[in-house]
Amino acid sequence: MKHSFIALIEDKCTSCMLCVRECPAWCINLDSHTVEVTEEGARRPKKVNVLDSFDIDYSLCMYCGVCIDVCPFDALAWDEHRALTSTNREDMILGIADLRSSGNA
Amino acid sequence: MPRYALTSEPRVCVEIVSAALACCTLELQAALGSGVLVESTELDASPSVIVIAGTVTDALVPSVMQLIRAHPGVKVMSFGACATSGGPYWDSPPVSKGIDQFVEVATYVAGCPPRPDAFIQAISDLACSEDA
Repeated sequence: MKHSFIALIEDKCTSCMLCVRECPAWCINLDSHTVEVTEEGARRPKKVNVLDSFDIDYSLCMYCGVCIDVCPFDALAWDEHRALTSTNREDMILGIADLRSSGNA
Repeated sequence: MPRYALTSEPRVCVEIVSAALACCTLELQAALGSGVLVESTELDASPSVIVIAGTVTDALVPSVMQLIRAHPGVKVMSFGACATSGGPYWDSPPVSKGIDQFVEVATYVAGCPPRPDAFIQAISDLACSEDA
């Protein structure tokens, strides 16, 4: 395992914000909204968070892995090495689509 | 100023001026010694690259700018999180929040520090784009 890319497993993320708050470089930006879900047989509807956006600013990221450690749902993971270079600083902010795991840790 | 050529593409030649400001410099040295770049004696090496590696404090900005201005037409590479955005020191008052506030940056390399292969990729991209 190389400490070179942090991937987001979108389905596991509950938008709990722990990674955002623990990141020493404050490089994670997360946006979500709440919806009410009524499950069959449940006494009342429950509220769940729906992830709208999840951005890691790789121009700030220290690759320390604190976000991976604190995630209670293993929604963040080290991933296959990708050397991140860019001609544009804005392009270093990667969203959900770009953060998907390649499947090769 | 040492000239380097990519071992994979000896035609592509780069001159590297390193502004060694902090710990990223060590990683840069590792990249230069990795065998992907070899010192070249070719004289018609065209692109010249300045690698800003490390934390640029406000006090150091004039010196860094002086170095960049001393090499007109040089491509600036922002190596590592500190040079790119302030990195871990993003909220520290005496640290500049990225050298792109002062000078046009050709390539940003992510990492704290970036791995040597990130540098190799960046320098190849830069050299090849110049070549094209």
